[in-house]
Amino acid sequence: MGKKILIVDDDPDLVDAVMTILKSKRYEVVAAYDGEEGLAKAKTENPDLIVLDVMMPGKDGYVVCKELKADPSLGSIPVLLLTAVASHIPTTRYTQQMGMETEADDYLDKPVEPEVLVQRIETLLAK
Amino acid sequence: MPQETILVIDDELIMRDGCSRILSKEGWSVLTAENGQRGIEMLRARPEAVDVILLDLMMPGMSGMETLDQIRGIDPDLLVIVITGYATVESAVEAMKKGAYDFIPKPFTPDQLRIVVRRALERRSLQREAEFLRRERERSLKDVAAEKSRIRTIVHSRGDGVLVCARDGYLVLVNPAASHILRISTEGLMGKRLAEIGLFPELSKVIAEIIEGRDGGYACISQELTLGDGLKTGRVFLRAHTCPIRNDSGELLGSVSVLQDITPLKELDQMKADFIAMVAHELRAPLAAVEQQLVVVLNRLAGEITAKQEELLGRAKERIKGLLDLIKDLLDLSKIEAGQIIQYKERLSLSEVIQKVVDLMKPEAEAKRIDLQFVSPLEGSWMTGDRNAMEGVFTNLISNAIKYTLEGGKVSISLGEEGDFLKATVSDTGVGIPKEDLPKVFDRFYRVKTPRTRQVVGTGLGLSIVKSLVDAHLGRIAIESELGKGTTVTVLFPKEMGNVSTPS
Repeated sequence: MGKKILIVDDDPDLVDAVMTILKSKRYEVVAAYDGEEGLAKAKTENPDLIVLDVMMPGKDGYVVCKELKADPSLGSIPVLLLTAVASHIPTTRYTQQMGMETEADDYLDKPVEPEVLVQRIETLLAK
Repeated sequence: MPQETILVIDDELIMRDGCSRILSKEGWSVLTAENGQRGIEMLRARPEAVDVILLDLMMPGMSGMETLDQIRGIDPDLLVIVITGYATVESAVEAMKKGAYDFIPKPFTPDQLRIVVRRALERRSLQREAEFLRRERERSLKDVAAEKSRIRTIVHSRGDGVLVCARDGYLVLVNPAASHILRISTEGLMGKRLAEIGLFPELSKVIAEIIEGRDGGYACISQELTLGDGLKTGRVFLRAHTCPIRNDSGELLGSVSVLQDITPLKELDQMKADFIAMVAHELRAPLAAVEQQLVVVLNRLAGEITAKQEELLGRAKERIKGLLDLIKDLLDLSKIEAGQIIQYKERLSLSEVIQKVVDLMKPEAEAKRIDLQFVSPLEGSWMTGDRNAMEGVFTNLISNAIKYTLEGGKVSISLGEEGDFLKATVSDTGVGIPKEDLPKVFDRFYRVKTPRTRQVVGTGLGLSIVKSLVDAHLGRIAIESELGKGTTVTVLFPKEMGNVSTPS
């Protein structure tokens, strides 16, 4: 079995789609459907990497990321932030800025292309 | 001018005839009476018909003096010239005391008579003129009073606040609506100096500018003001129009400010923006999920698919992407309207921003074999703006230019100065825009539809977003186009203050 990846997204269909991509690459995948659950599973599941959605009701991706990085036992887990296009003009610069501020290790715009996602994850895991 | 009439009252026929003859020759009309009684009757019948009376003092029956008294009783303004038979100074003096205008001693020459009568008629005419003027003045005073009362009623019954400030800075007219809108009692406003009442500083400044006649002082100034705390509830939005008041000769008298409560409009606007944002967010999530699912299927991660299935799903994905773009533009627009997008104004170099966008657009242009060029002779090109917004402006303009230019065409961007503005132009050799469509291109959802643009994908929001962003930066935008030749969009942004080079 490959490395374990935690997906945090409030949209079950999106979780399913991303999960399909990752499972095709033999990753072990666990899902959480909101920020709180994501933080809890980050502790119990001990994932190698977290794919985190930004726009979620309750604790959003930025908050979750901040809390993860502030936790000594979780701070070293790489976080890949998933951002929805359409937040600001132009999107790339905005996500860059927010990604940096939230100390995420990398970010990707939705929809994610399978190859790009896998390649980014592999880069992060290799670090 | 009506003919002047002279009434001759004399008991001697020869005198009456003589006077009549002399005076008629002058073009005057003459009435005669053989005694005082008869004269008074004639006067009573038509007092306004007589201008001057020639009255013999020595008459049988009613004496001259008594007649004079009665004439004075009928109309004290009537001019009476007494004829004194025996040229006694006493009787003449007595008659003058009683109000006679003049006297003429017997015997007199026709010339003497003419002179005396003419003088009396002149006097009469002056009297009439004075009377006419007095009535006129009375009437215009009444008119003014009525006009004043009318204006007062109009001003006071208006729902919009009205403040009139005299040139010396004192408030001279305030209607109840103004006091209500400003939440200051009428007593707290009327007759007070502008500086001593707690008016909006912005409004006070504008009024002061106008009554001091700065910047020529002919223009009306409109501003939007917010009253109340920063909370959403209980906040009042006002629009204030302040105009100079001038008299006929253009002399500045003061200013009038009309205050309009636009809170309901603002609330509606906010609701509209909230609604759009809500709908857009609700629409986006499912569409994004569908798009992601299509990506997974198209990548054959859910099993093999046929070429036809791939083609259909690929087109479905493009359609979804189009919808997501539309939602993105809608959100941008509602954010711009809510004033949220221009939050990080900073000092930036416009040429740097444009260069970055041009670099980003290069691949898109190259794919269509379009020659994309950016020329900027400017060294500084510093302005104050929101970097994201500026990038948005030029991304939109350049991507439009590329979209509407056929393969092998040219898109050129230049940057220069015009007065206190930085001037950027984006020109293409594209399909152009029909003349009748030019005024509409900044409207929302407007897209030029011609056979040549049918395949071009777009939301019709791009240019309206660009315009909102340019407006938010106090800039200007203009578009010129010739069908089949190309389009040039020009944007102007104010240069950064203090950027003006000082001659050394």
